[in-house]
Amino acid sequence: MTKSIVLQMEGIRKVFGTVVALDDVNLQLNSKEIHGLLGGNGAGKTTLMNVLFGLYKPNAGKVELHGEKVEIRSPKDAINNEIGMVHQHFLQVDSYTVTENIVLGTELKSWPTLKLEVEADQIRALSEKFGLAVDPDTIMSDLPIGVRQKVEILKALYRGVEVLILDEPTTNLTPQEVDDLFESLRVMVDEGLSIVFITHKLREVMSVCDKITVLRDGQNVLTEDRENVTEKSLVKAMVGEGLNVEESVVFSSVVSGAETRWGASEFGEPVVKVEGLHAQNEDSIVVIKDCTFEVRQKEILGVAGVAGNGQQALAECLMGVCPIHQGSVIVDGMNVSETETRDLLEGGVAYIPQDRLLDGFLPTASVAHNLILGYQRNQAYSNKGFLDWKIIFQSARQQIDEYTIMTPSAGDVAANLSGGNIQRVMLARAFAHPSSFLIAHNPTRGLDIRSIDFVYKKLFERKEAGAATLLISEDLDELFRMCDRIATIYSGEIVGILEKGEFDKYEIGRMMSGVKAND
Amino acid sequence: MTDTNISTNSKAKAIAAIVLPYLLAILASFVASGIFIAIMGFNVPKAFATILFTSFRTPNGFIQTLLKFIPLMLQALAFTVPLAAGKFNIGGEGQLIVGGIGATAVGIIFADLPLPILLPLVILAGVIFGGFWAAIPAWLLYRFGINEILTTVMMNFVSFGLIDYVATQIWRDPAAGHPTTIPIGAGGELPMLISSPPLHSGIILAIIVAVGVYIYTNRTSAGYELIATGANPRASKVYGINTRKMFLLSLIIGGGLAGLSGAIEVAGYQHRLIEGLQSNFLLLGLIIGLIAKGDNSAVPFVAFFIAVLEIGASAMQRTMMIPVEMVFIVEALVLLFVLLSDVIRRR
Ligand SMILES: Nc1ncnc2c1ncn2[C@@H]1O[C@H](COP(=O)(O)OP(=O)(O)OP(=O)(O)O)[C@@H](O)[C@H]1O
Ligand SMILES: [Mg+2]
Repeated sequence: MTKSIVLQMEGIRKVFGTVVALDDVNLQLNSKEIHGLLGGNGAGKTTLMNVLFGLYKPNAGKVELHGEKVEIRSPKDAINNEIGMVHQHFLQVDSYTVTENIVLGTELKSWPTLKLEVEADQIRALSEKFGLAVDPDTIMSDLPIGVRQKVEILKALYRGVEVLILDEPTTNLTPQEVDDLFESLRVMVDEGLSIVFITHKLREVMSVCDKITVLRDGQNVLTEDRENVTEKSLVKAMVGEGLNVEESVVFSSVVSGAETRWGASEFGEPVVKVEGLHAQNEDSIVVIKDCTFEVRQKEILGVAGVAGNGQQALAECLMGVCPIHQGSVIVDGMNVSETETRDLLEGGVAYIPQDRLLDGFLPTASVAHNLILGYQRNQAYSNKGFLDWKIIFQSARQQIDEYTIMTPSAGDVAANLSGGNIQRVMLARAFAHPSSFLIAHNPTRGLDIRSIDFVYKKLFERKEAGAATLLISEDLDELFRMCDRIATIYSGEIVGILEKGEFDKYEIGRMMSGVKAND
Repeated sequence: MTDTNISTNSKAKAIAAIVLPYLLAILASFVASGIFIAIMGFNVPKAFATILFTSFRTPNGFIQTLLKFIPLMLQALAFTVPLAAGKFNIGGEGQLIVGGIGATAVGIIFADLPLPILLPLVILAGVIFGGFWAAIPAWLLYRFGINEILTTVMMNFVSFGLIDYVATQIWRDPAAGHPTTIPIGAGGELPMLISSPPLHSGIILAIIVAVGVYIYTNRTSAGYELIATGANPRASKVYGINTRKMFLLSLIIGGGLAGLSGAIEVAGYQHRLIEGLQSNFLLLGLIIGLIAKGDNSAVPFVAFFIAVLEIGASAMQRTMMIPVEMVFIVEALVLLFVLLSDVIRRR
């Protein structure tokens, strides 16, 4: 069966100031195809899709749909041409229902009653057909991030699409949710849709994509059928000769808790002592129940669990952001319930929040501003309350180099950074300031392989230097690879802690669903 | 050598990238309003010449412009400083009035004190009263989370009643036809820099304040926290900034700035409290703040430009009988085109 070409992007070029984000890029999408779009952070994936969706006007190049040239000048044009996009960082109205969010900006059939029953039924039908389980009547803010992702997809489907763009849809999903999503994608393709799927996870590419295009530094490097590539060849295409696979943590460590050359060591004194910790959120709902654990010098303690089981509350309790209701948390001699967050930061606690945009990013400020958030009163940067911008810019430039943050200058507005480069800012901020304890919550989210490797090496360096780390992650492979012990959290409770050597996917999987260890 | 060349070159480019849209916006707004003026049957080049050059043709024109510039700039800062923290202070005129009341009260009650003591007290009273007037909505926000836009606006209306009470009951000047208080003590008057045409030393105060605001927001850790709070309150909180305190503080600073403008009007210009001293400074302050896109360092320049337009507009009305509202149209159009240029550039 020969497939017909749905979409053809040719010679696309996009320049931002001095940055050439896309240089003569081509993309061809066949009908009923899932097309993987890969590339390192800042390679231009999002920019290319934003051009297709009418958000950016390309400096050169053309777009053809079914062989006919089209001008897409705005998202409205894109939608009229049946192109839909789910953004890497999407925006939703928290106080609206799912239905209201989905129909926002469309013509309402129930106008002017605003009852939205017809629409809700239609959404229900769509969600059933494609296996995207969502209740149209729930308020958005009550939904976990994984379901919000589905709402975004439904939003596109509701508008009627032939081409669906998914920009890193899996970064916030649990493995189970990813599997469900892939099933839904297959149904969509069977229904005649064509999909562009952006991800950094090679396993996902290999399991769901029919065809793959790799970008590097804004240029095409490879377009192949899935059958003709391997994970290794894709890595090579993405990073060039830049990654030494032998030296890489990602590729060399054995995923089973066996010794690696970065592995075991003698632990030191406890840096963090958490005892009988209880915490509630703003609505007085218990989010942390009776947690007790220690993190020692030279130790990486992992926290496994399905997203939304209290991981963020735990991190924020340790950071002094979420109030401690009962119990005690001592970090490096500081009693957290009596210490301001800023003093914890100054006293050597570093934090990588999981939701970089919401919890760690100043979009309208410069990259340099962002790199010192929380450290603005640090003696390195300020003298008697006055900021020393010369030093701040110097160290910003250093960090931009070391953490390969892709930006024209330290003074550039941070909103221009690509998703992965925003994550690199979070990392630079946490790693560049000396700390005896680091809380890293999904630190590799949205990063390309080379950057992930870099993060792992940094974590091991800390360990060797004697620091303590709490690594909260939904990625079991990551935890197995990095941690000395893994605690599993389920609805705010630590269900069990396993030592290296006892790590077991099934055991942890059981604990993640609430079954106590040794039950 | 080449290195510095490149950097000065790119700096010049960066500045051009900021200034050019402004120039285009101004040009576009003049073209658009020129069409109006022509339709109304007036001489367009002459009207524009009057608007633009009145401030620079005579010493008097220039000094009038400076006198207008002082309250406009302070009002704009009273809006943009809280805006940096993400809060909207729409109560600048109420804070100006109450600041003026505070300055007048001190100036009348302690009328006999000598200048070195009374003048600082008068000015300080303006700042404190203005700050206090903003502290009420700020506290309502801090304590109960009540939206500051509503409360700051409502406080304006309360201040109208207050000034009326002060000017018609407490310290009424029976000789004046309009609600006015008796004059403050001579020691409370801002000394003149130039006597004819008269220019008082409030201009120096205003410039010091503008520089101070710039240093505070751009060069200090505390100012960093203000800006971080405005950029992302949630992230700022996670990274240890007391954001609620920043909201409170920013509004009170804004009130203090507006109160200062009231004190300067009293101590420098009127030497008494006259009902209506707030003129339309609030609205113009908002326009200036928005044209400057909230950038505190751009505010003085935009404020000066608007002061030039304002002075030119009254001259235009006097000499050509073109209604002064015409210049409102120009100002609004400048704002519109500046905002528009943003939308275009983003694509
Ligand atoms: N609006 C913009 N203004 C200036 N530069 C931009 C803008 N958008 C993107 N860039 C730059 O273009 C380059 C490509 O960015 P893009 O967001 O397309 O990367 P990406 O491949 O999606 O990366 P990631 O995996 O990190 O999301 C980056 O260097 C980025 O800084
Ligand atoms: Mg991207």
